[in-house]
Amino acid sequence: MNIKFLVVDDSVTMRRIVINSLSSLNFKDYVEAADGNEALNKLEENPDINFVITDWNMPGMTGLDLVKAIRASEKFNHLAILMVTTRGLKEDIIEALKSGVNNYILKPFTPAVLKEKIEQILNSKN
Amino acid sequence: MKNDASVMNKLFEKLDDLKTIFLYSEKLIPVIQKLIDFMRNTIPLLENINNSITETASKFPTASSQIDSVTSATEMATTEILDTVDKIFMEINSAKLNVENLISSQDGSLNNESKEKLNLINAALDKINQYANNVTLSLQVQDITSQQLAAVNYLIQSVQSRLGSLFQDLEDSNISGMSKYVDKNVFNENARYQDTTQQQKEIDQLVTTNKSTTSQDEIDKLFLKK
Repeated sequence: MNIKFLVVDDSVTMRRIVINSLSSLNFKDYVEAADGNEALNKLEENPDINFVITDWNMPGMTGLDLVKAIRASEKFNHLAILMVTTRGLKEDIIEALKSGVNNYILKPFTPAVLKEKIEQILNSKN
Repeated sequence: MKNDASVMNKLFEKLDDLKTIFLYSEKLIPVIQKLIDFMRNTIPLLENINNSITETASKFPTASSQIDSVTSATEMATTEILDTVDKIFMEINSAKLNVENLISSQDGSLNNESKEKLNLINAALDKINQYANNVTLSLQVQDITSQQLAAVNYLIQSVQSRLGSLFQDLEDSNISGMSKYVDKNVFNENARYQDTTQQQKEIDQLVTTNKSTTSQDEIDKLFLKK
């Protein structure tokens, strides 16, 4: 199965790091967005996206609002969502899980953790 | 006649009241005088405080703008480092391909010793690749520190805004606004660059327990271990 990722982060640095990590794990197919609104546009433009990796803190539409929008959408609610964020408070994690993220990674992360979470999500989807 | 006596009595009562007031005022006047003196001395002090706050507050936009400059500069530098690391990755991949082609070449031009050395070169290239990868990952510090700086900027702007509204009635106060305001959504004030191994384990357990719809009590217990 070909996995096409949507990497959403307002930090150019973080997007590049996530994309480099994905490449090192042999995932080469991706598109990028700098906030939630741009991410929704990219989803419309790229119907073959099946995996969203998103930050939480972003201008405009936050990552959490993006997750809620995806889960509320009939068209996109099947997408796998992994949140990669600096927010490590229990309340935040519970809120993200309740909003519909499939898994949660705390920054700074390692490619090993990224790989593990992607595999867990893909295995649970299959 | 009786009526005149009653009027006189009232007059004397009023005079007594007046006398009491004069006596009280006599005691009060020094206090009022002290109060006036105190206020007279305080006004320059208050003016100094006002000037000092206004002067300090006028520096807030500069401080805020300097923080923005630091964020932009570190982002630019990080991008340059990432560009360089990408070039290193490309060179390593190209070198590895050449080395592997040499090792697997079947023309017999390489003896075992040469192949062994090539294997060592190959292993060294793998290590360099790993180190370059570690450099990339460490650059996550840029995102985390930029969130910390945005939190500081937000704090400065909050103080500036409070002072602005506090002094808006004072004619001579001149607390100017910020050129650009920080969106509270763009940062996490608790962002830290640290080893997240243990915290990630706790998050993993939380994700697992949440998926199996475990009670809030169990989730709380998990976090009490901290």
